[in-house]
Amino acid sequence: MAINAGYFVRESLQSFRRNWVMSLGAVITIYLSLLLVGVSIASSMIVSQVVRSVEDKVSIRIFLKDGAATADVDALNKTLVADARVKNVKYTSKEEALAEFKKTMVDSPEIVDQLEVNPLPASLDVNLKKPQDVTVLVETIKSDPSFIKVADRPDSPEKSLKYGQQIVKQLFAFTSALRVVGVVFIIMLAVISLIFINNTIRLAIYARRKEIGIMRLVGASNWFIRTPFLLEGMVQSLLGALLALLTLGSIQWFVMPRLKGTISFLPVSLSGGSSAQISLILIVSGVIIGLAGSAVALRRYLKV
Amino acid sequence: MISMRSVSKTYGADKPALNDVNVEIEQGEFVFLVGHSGSGKSTFIRLLQRELLPSEGAIVVAGQDLTHMKNWKVPYLRRNIGCVFQDFKLLPNKTTYENVAFALEVIGRSRHVIRTQVPEVLRLVGLEEKINSYPDELSGGEQQRVSIARAFVNRPPLLLADEPTGNLDPATSLGIMSLFSRINKTGTTVLVATHDREMVDSMRKRVIALENGRIIRDQDRGVYGYGD
Repeated sequence: MAINAGYFVRESLQSFRRNWVMSLGAVITIYLSLLLVGVSIASSMIVSQVVRSVEDKVSIRIFLKDGAATADVDALNKTLVADARVKNVKYTSKEEALAEFKKTMVDSPEIVDQLEVNPLPASLDVNLKKPQDVTVLVETIKSDPSFIKVADRPDSPEKSLKYGQQIVKQLFAFTSALRVVGVVFIIMLAVISLIFINNTIRLAIYARRKEIGIMRLVGASNWFIRTPFLLEGMVQSLLGALLALLTLGSIQWFVMPRLKGTISFLPVSLSGGSSAQISLILIVSGVIIGLAGSAVALRRYLKV
Repeated sequence: MISMRSVSKTYGADKPALNDVNVEIEQGEFVFLVGHSGSGKSTFIRLLQRELLPSEGAIVVAGQDLTHMKNWKVPYLRRNIGCVFQDFKLLPNKTTYENVAFALEVIGRSRHVIRTQVPEVLRLVGLEEKINSYPDELSGGEQQRVSIARAFVNRPPLLLADEPTGNLDPATSLGIMSLFSRINKTGTTVLVATHDREMVDSMRKRVIALENGRIIRDQDRGVYGYGD
């Protein structure tokens, strides 16, 4: 085995020196494909983060009538908290609501001053674990008897609830479409790079088909013939993946902070965890693509 | 060494390239396989290397049944068969020494074995002077000697040659044939497919004649043939 290892290393280095244009071509192809895959994974991660932050703003606000019995409000609160879909419930009293209103109206205090009584109802703010559950939960609340008891306008319960009825539906349609597009895009890029790499490796093997023919003639085992090509393919893919990572890293370091400065209202950033995830994905998929591409390309030259 | 029992080989739906061939070749024999182009000589050789499988019949080479052999065992069969071709099949970017050493390297022989066996076999074929020459610096006859050296360096019990002198002039061909004869004297079975009439007639070895995929003559100490 020791002899073989030496032979493989020597053979790979030699073939790299002899076919370096071909090897360089393979490395660049893999580099660019993986860079595209990496960029699209990263941007879909960022997009989904933005989407989640928007979705998290979806909540249900239940307006309570003035003078609702504390016991009834507590009962509603309890059933809501017990609901599996609910993350938390926050009670806002009339006074707190007014204080909040004053805060938002700090630029035009005359409006607040004109108020003689406090017109704002108390409310319960319901946050959800999964924002998509919002319409279903609203229906449950509406049919709850304790809700009817405390609702601001018992005659039309619809108006005692606020959850951005129309917007919610459109938002969810949009965000799920965005996710599907991201996944499809990444899969397409992966397939394209697999085809490219397979072709590049096939060319490299074609250039050496004579050697392979002679190896088979003198009785080299198939694994012996295969290994240098697989090693070569793997090294090329690793090089390509590392280059792609370097590029992505420099984008992360130099471009992202500027981007963040221009659109500060959206949480555009990648956590260290996501970067590590992307690196892992790129390296592993690079190696798999290199090995699979070489193996497939070699198959037709190794038929016994 | 070689045993073929009612072997037929058909490519596609055409008429068979080999048709019901029965041959027994003993260890240490020297055999010529003669016939026109298209008579089935090459198919015969390729069946023995198990590059092809017969459509019908059974083939045993060096004690191994080729028809039931697993694919991964084929390389080990080929280590027992040296092969020489009309077009030499040398690697142009390797020297004489490297071309011969390559055959030992790829079957995992140690460097020590390579260092002793390669010069020895190059001496046998008379190329010890050209050890560092590249194939394009050698004459056709010399290139064929290199390919014979490569085929023989592993001391296989069987040597197959498909038109080894097809590209060479008569004088050079004679040298190549006497080389085969010397290899045969070491106990190696040699099978040469050829249509070189003078050669066959001068050597007076066993001759198997093929025509349209059938054996029409199998003769000890024979000659090329009568007509044509």
